[in-house]
Amino acid sequence: MHEVIMFDSVGFRYPDETSWLVEDLSFSIQAGERVVMTGPSGCGKSTILFLINRLYPENCDGELKGRVKLLGKDGNEYAPGEVNHRIATVFQDPDAQFCMRTVEEELAFTLENLRTPRSEMDRKIDEVLRMTELTNYRHAVIQQLSGGEKQRIALACALIMEPDILLLDEPLSHLDPLAAHSFVTLLNRLQQEQGFTVVAIEHHLDLWDNFFQRELVLFEQPHVKEIRKRQAAKQNECALRVKKLSTASFLQDASFALQKGEVAVLAGQNGSGKSTMLKALAGLISAKGTVTPNTLGYVPQSPEFLFVTKTVEEEIAYGGGGRTHELMEALQLTKVADSHPFAVSHGQKRRVAIAAMLNDGREVILMDEPTAGQDAVSLHELFRLIDERASEGTAFLIVTHDMEFAYAIADRVLLMKEGKLTGAFEADEVWRNPKLLAAHRLMMPKGALEHEASFA
Amino acid sequence: MKQALHDMNPSIKFLVTTICMLTLAFFFNPWTPLICWVGVILLQLCFSSINWKKWFLFMIPFVIMSFGYFWTTIVFAEERTGAIVWSVFHYDITKAQLDHALSLSFRVLAFAGLSLLFAFTTDPTKFILSLMQQLKLSPKIAYSILVGYQFLPVMKEEFVHIQQAHRLRGAVRDRNVLVRLWNLRRILLPMLAGAVRKAERSAFAMEARGFTGEKRTEFYQVISVGKNDMILSSLFFLIIVAGCSSANWI
Repeated sequence: MHEVIMFDSVGFRYPDETSWLVEDLSFSIQAGERVVMTGPSGCGKSTILFLINRLYPENCDGELKGRVKLLGKDGNEYAPGEVNHRIATVFQDPDAQFCMRTVEEELAFTLENLRTPRSEMDRKIDEVLRMTELTNYRHAVIQQLSGGEKQRIALACALIMEPDILLLDEPLSHLDPLAAHSFVTLLNRLQQEQGFTVVAIEHHLDLWDNFFQRELVLFEQPHVKEIRKRQAAKQNECALRVKKLSTASFLQDASFALQKGEVAVLAGQNGSGKSTMLKALAGLISAKGTVTPNTLGYVPQSPEFLFVTKTVEEEIAYGGGGRTHELMEALQLTKVADSHPFAVSHGQKRRVAIAAMLNDGREVILMDEPTAGQDAVSLHELFRLIDERASEGTAFLIVTHDMEFAYAIADRVLLMKEGKLTGAFEADEVWRNPKLLAAHRLMMPKGALEHEASFA
Repeated sequence: MKQALHDMNPSIKFLVTTICMLTLAFFFNPWTPLICWVGVILLQLCFSSINWKKWFLFMIPFVIMSFGYFWTTIVFAEERTGAIVWSVFHYDITKAQLDHALSLSFRVLAFAGLSLLFAFTTDPTKFILSLMQQLKLSPKIAYSILVGYQFLPVMKEEFVHIQQAHRLRGAVRDRNVLVRLWNLRRILLPMLAGAVRKAERSAFAMEARGFTGEKRTEFYQVISVGKNDMILSSLFFLIIVAGCSSANWI
């Protein structure tokens, strides 16, 4: 065992900032270890990762103090790009880490950077594809693959360098639960075979099972009350009735209804048609069938897509509704009323979007993947927001991969598979039915398991 | 044979078509561009397997443009003296006028023909790789273009998504085209913000894989120069020479 990464009272700050983002940080990581770094978002976890693969401080002109020792050598002694031959990184966003069209070209790009002789390239590509079980994808076009497949390819691109250290920057945050599970299983096997060191940042340890040997708590998570299963606030009045909704190409006849104050989760694997369903319901794409009422509220994964004005207040009032102030009060937006809607926090953007929808008289809110890439604090905030609104009578239909969150929030679960709504179940019925979950490639939430256990 | 133009080295093809266009610019008579245009079409008929329907569709705007040139040159000609060769709608058209008009409109067609030949028979990735290997384009620029190219479909998807979201907010499409263009900024702002973020992420991902922008020594996909390129280049030059010399004997 020897030390591969050593931070000795390291501090870092971005240019033009007076306070240190990271200060007096010391830790060391041994060869072959599996370490996860945790902390709330925005605390500088990614910055530390970038200090390890030397993307910082060069790329941002930030100021670094203290000593970073990488693979037995001082970080500053490496030439630009040199350390990246031995420390590989897999990033979070599956859509923004490739530069070539096909898998083969992408792998070759990495080898060319390493100046691997051409005669060896083919053998290395073959080998890494076999290792990551991607042999059939050699000529596949990357853009057409799913998030899970893309992350596997990113892993292959990292491993083809035969790195000493593998860095992972929340690699699971855009994957559905089963894809995430198979990524972890694969990584587990590869690490055992190859023995490289794994350093990850992640705030969602549930999906990793017992993969990590050590957790490095960089910054104490502000204490978040655990999300408890909420009390149903269903009222006996129909909020949404959908009959035989279908689109020309994909979505097949779907019928269901929601009560006022009901929270439903729409689940299914990637590509099963969940987003298409939401868009068809919101009337964004043309569809057959009837939806009553015909104006529903819709909050995309990036709420800023909705914004058309220059202040939060104008944004909420844009549709001409008369409840602007009342809603700003209720959704705690009064303080940021004059801010530009692009400049407020992600949680606030979501609140603005929901307030705008409610002000337009859209009492059913459809949310597309609000949980993706959110840490515990913002998940809790989201949970509270939905809970509050539901008790006021708003009905929600939420697409999410986060089964823990779904378990806590849902009164009902709508399951989809290959463009077909397979059923609208009472939530408890779904959590008690492992077969049903497996058929839709979903994982049993831990909360449900514990619940079962306590009754056994 | 049917693949020869597709297999031609993209850099050489690029240079040859550029030389052809520059040469054409020096000849002002109807025959040179006409012969070149026909020659280029023949070349494509023999040595490529392009989608001709698509070719016709792309050619339509150029044909309209070339007719526009033809018509305006005739109607607004400065010189109206000389032998009248054609009379239509009370317009007397002289030989000089007709020559001018035809040269301009055929020139448009010839330029369009050459451009389409290049565009339809060249794979963009191979073109960039070839620019890097043959013409010593810096990898920094080459890979920036390749990444940008990968972004296009994602950007298009995002554009549609934002447009849909705005329609939901009740942002109605204005009748006036100018107002509509001005309103486009609302869509472009979030897109730009997203694009900057994405570009930074991509840059980081590339650097994390050891990309430094230095000249490379090893290529996986070698784009070579061969006999095929020589033969096809000579054919291009033959067409251009035939076109240019026609100026003398017609």
